[in-house]
Amino acid sequence: MTIYLGVILLALAWAAVTGSFTFPNLVFGLVLGSLTLYLVREQRGPFRSAFRPGKVLSLALLFVKELILSAWRVARLVVSPRMDLRPGIFAYPLKVDRDFEITLLANLITLTPGTLSVDVSDDKRLLYVHAIDCSDPEAAIKDIETGFERKILEAFR
Amino acid sequence: MISGEDFLSYCVTAALALLSLSFLLTVLRVLRGPTLPDRILALDMLVAIAIGFIAVLGIKTGYAFHVDIAIALGLVGFLATVAFARFVLSRKAKDFDSPKGVKSRAKRGK
Amino acid sequence: MIEPLLDYVAGILIVIGAIFALVASVGLLRLPDLYTRMHAASKAGTLGSCVMLIALAVQSQDLAISTRALAGVIFFLLTVPISSHLLAKAAHASGYRMWDKSVRDDIEGFVQKTKKITRN
Repeated sequence: MTIYLGVILLALAWAAVTGSFTFPNLVFGLVLGSLTLYLVREQRGPFRSAFRPGKVLSLALLFVKELILSAWRVARLVVSPRMDLRPGIFAYPLKVDRDFEITLLANLITLTPGTLSVDVSDDKRLLYVHAIDCSDPEAAIKDIETGFERKILEAFR
Repeated sequence: MISGEDFLSYCVTAALALLSLSFLLTVLRVLRGPTLPDRILALDMLVAIAIGFIAVLGIKTGYAFHVDIAIALGLVGFLATVAFARFVLSRKAKDFDSPKGVKSRAKRGK
Repeated sequence: MIEPLLDYVAGILIVIGAIFALVASVGLLRLPDLYTRMHAASKAGTLGSCVMLIALAVQSQDLAISTRALAGVIFFLLTVPISSHLLAKAAHASGYRMWDKSVRDDIEGFVQKTKKITRN
């Protein structure tokens, strides 16, 4: 099932990049998408997940809001005359355990206020996050837990 | 009340000026370093600014090709940064590479 | 008439995008170490280019160009965190130190003692 979703997404991406949503172009996109997925068939791990469009949309909206907020915070920090920095790396205990969800969470964390994902421990239990203000890591952990991670669990489980 | 076209052309001029300034500041970071990853990061930033330039020029001239150039540049910039990161990973940090006041891993005694 | 309105929106958007790009480059110059600079480049820089591409999509009034610009935005949002994450990981793993006023590093286990985790 998910493989068809992948092909359809690739076809839509093809149509968007070439800029024409005509029927022949979409069919060509489907052919190209299948060919692409055929090429990476050995690299693809098992991918099994639920997909709730409404929750995914709410995750996307939260993400856009946080991106704007984070750029604004960085902007304020950078132009303030005395930068008050307490940077550090804290370990975030992951609740999600599939590769796909970890990747998504790491990407979202990178683009949100004050945090940047640096590394994942080998056993995939800890995500190391660099924070620009690391004076209170517990609060940052709680933010991620109740924000993005909960939304990801809701959207893909 | 100024017309939309006039307003847009003022905005294009202002945006081009701001982008040029940020391009220069980023080049300064490339020159100053002090470490290799700093330079890579600044080069990545240059690609992002160049994409912004292309978008503004696309609005100014109205040519459709500019979007394709921006997408291609984004792809090349991404691949270049990934390749550079692999290079950094394969090459250990040297002491003369460390920024001022920053201890090397060996000296931390851990 | 919607055309002049679109011109106003696009004009405001490109100026906002350019200001974010400028802020990102000022941050790149002012912040003390690689990891904090990465915050400026990956957030403000990304938002700057994305906002300018969105302005192009708004202003072109041509579906083909708009979808291409939006595809570029999505592509950019997908790739920037990956490349900055990879660069941060590579820099940390090969021993580029953080700023000496950094308060904590759970990977190295300083400040708060955590179980030493082996990394490759």
